[in-house]
Amino acid sequence: MADERFVFIKDNTEDMETARPSLTYWQDAWRRLKKNKLAMIGAFTIIFVLLFGLFGPSLTKYSYSDQLNKFKNLPPRLEIFNVDENLNFHLSNDYNIFLVTDNGEVYDRLEPDKNQRDMINKIYIYKYGTEDNYEEVILDFSYNLLPSKQGYDYNFTIEYDGVVYTQPNDKVFNRTFPFGTDDLGRDILTRVMYGTRISLMIAFIATLVNLLIGVVYGSISGFEGGKVDEFMMRIVDIINSVPLILYVILLMVTFKDNDGLTNIVIALSTVYWVSMARLVRGQMLALKEQEFVLAASVIGVPRYKIIFRHLIPNAMGPIIVSMTMMIPSAVFTEAFLSFIGLGVSAPQASLGTLANNSLTGLLTYPYQLFFPALTIAIIILAFNFLGDGLRDALDPRLRKG
Amino acid sequence: MKGYYAKRIFSALITLLIITTLTFVMMHSIPGGPFTRERPVPAEILRTLNEKYNLDAPIYEQYFDYLKGLVTFDLGPSYSKIGTTVNDLIISGFPASAKIGLYATILIVLFGIPLGIVSALKQNKPIDYLVMFMATLGVTVPSFVMATLIIYFFAGKLGILPSFGITSPLGYIGPVLALSGYSLSFVARLTRSSMLEVLRQDYIRTARANGLSEFKVIYKHAIKNALIPVVTYIGPMVATILTGSFVIEKIFAVPGMGRYFVESVGNRDYTTITGITVFYAAFYIIMVLFVDIAYGFIDPRIKLGKEK
Repeated sequence: MADERFVFIKDNTEDMETARPSLTYWQDAWRRLKKNKLAMIGAFTIIFVLLFGLFGPSLTKYSYSDQLNKFKNLPPRLEIFNVDENLNFHLSNDYNIFLVTDNGEVYDRLEPDKNQRDMINKIYIYKYGTEDNYEEVILDFSYNLLPSKQGYDYNFTIEYDGVVYTQPNDKVFNRTFPFGTDDLGRDILTRVMYGTRISLMIAFIATLVNLLIGVVYGSISGFEGGKVDEFMMRIVDIINSVPLILYVILLMVTFKDNDGLTNIVIALSTVYWVSMARLVRGQMLALKEQEFVLAASVIGVPRYKIIFRHLIPNAMGPIIVSMTMMIPSAVFTEAFLSFIGLGVSAPQASLGTLANNSLTGLLTYPYQLFFPALTIAIIILAFNFLGDGLRDALDPRLRKG
Repeated sequence: MKGYYAKRIFSALITLLIITTLTFVMMHSIPGGPFTRERPVPAEILRTLNEKYNLDAPIYEQYFDYLKGLVTFDLGPSYSKIGTTVNDLIISGFPASAKIGLYATILIVLFGIPLGIVSALKQNKPIDYLVMFMATLGVTVPSFVMATLIIYFFAGKLGILPSFGITSPLGYIGPVLALSGYSLSFVARLTRSSMLEVLRQDYIRTARANGLSEFKVIYKHAIKNALIPVVTYIGPMVATILTGSFVIEKIFAVPGMGRYFVESVGNRDYTTITGITVFYAAFYIIMVLFVDIAYGFIDPRIKLGKEK
């Protein structure tokens, strides 16, 4: 046969049907996820919260355990008495007078003059200025006590430079402590950032450990089947037959001696893997009947390789979804434990301990609860949004639509 | 059928035994006994105490004693509350916890399910968005935050609810609301999604095509099937509510079992911890068993004993 009979056909791309570039499973899922607005909001919020917790504490001027005795229980929004140019007084809920600049920086606290205070009538004199050259500030709380001073619609006065103020005439945001300070004078913003870091760290580590144990346990159980499966699932059933939080509490009580952080991680990760194991087992049962597994075992791929190279990657979708849902529930559980006093030990603080600490002064200083609680809610909401989005993006049942 | 129940009850008992053993071993492996104090207790007193509570006996003997007690529903004495037994604590605490839990469950069923149904029927309408917004809030705000917020606004600012105790009927509102918040939202979401799925089924289309009134389609055909996953959730939820009440009882100062449990955790009162755990476990197992049995009545398609 002569070679000239063979002619190369021209590379004609125009005639070919222009197909969409084929997408892998993950590319397709990512495309779907990008379209889901709520999920993307969730994802960005998570990134933001992570940055907030990781880098936030090093950006503020204070450390989470710094106690500034002078500035206790300062709220994030200050009610001020404007008494002079760039001089404002803030009377705090525990009756201290703070000096505030016009744009809301708290820079000092006035000390009462111990020689001049009138404890019986509750009239206090504060000194503003230096030791020799000062102005008197008179804080008068006698309106509830003295019969001669009753019948006014205010119950205290502040007198400075001859002018009497009966109520705050302005409000500014606290620039020095944007979230306020707690009862030991610690900056709440820093503490919330630090607490976020601790809470998320516990949640991530516990979830990773759960993932590892659950995936290995579940895939062995599902792949082996038969007696092994039955025995392994019996154990899971027994663990699961009691509210898991009870085990966690028992474990926390049992090793109270270690560092609180380690305890929580151990307690959470020894218990919560059971749901992951169940999920993975279910996936394995469905997947192991498929042809590619048969093909792999026919060409002699060892069993562990079949599990880790062929089965687990195919079950990754539901695993990731369940992992995303595990993180907020770990945050929840951790907060719950800290709240009943089994959490991380002081001076460390998680969002749960912060919420717990704020309880004693709740009615007077509600902002001390507000910020940690809000952060917990934001974290849980963000992970829920992302998890829902991931489920929609990864669930093969919905892939037709 | 009878064989199935017997098998279920038997396995429940085995589970209970394992849990008891586990808690017992855990409690006894803790370094330091129940009478370890900051200031050491004189040796003489310690010996007497150990003798009184039989703590110097070998561990297996203590274990069998404990099991013997369990069979006769005797959970032993409390170590930190001198003169009271764990039974006393449970008897005095459980009614309050159970009452709050019961009211919370009623609230969840009465509001969660209808809200979910309404939301599903009015999908993508303002009511749906409102309900789902509230439900999302409900599952994201931890119960203790909800409880403190209730105290702050209703007891502190408005002064219409008492901030602690359940001596008056009004006192129940706070704990019950805080306790049911999460599950109520969850049930509403679950009912909604399950209802939406059922409404897409062929038999609903058939029912509509046959000219049944919308009322009949929804109440006779859709709801029954939509409620199956909800029932599955509600059974174990009762137990979750009870454990959730640990915190709620602490915040609202309700003299319930959860508060004793939290206190005993703080006091290292081992017998109380073990006793209440076993009690909770038993309660939970019974609830799940109950749901499994009730399942057969709701959904005849599920044949008991042949699952898995």
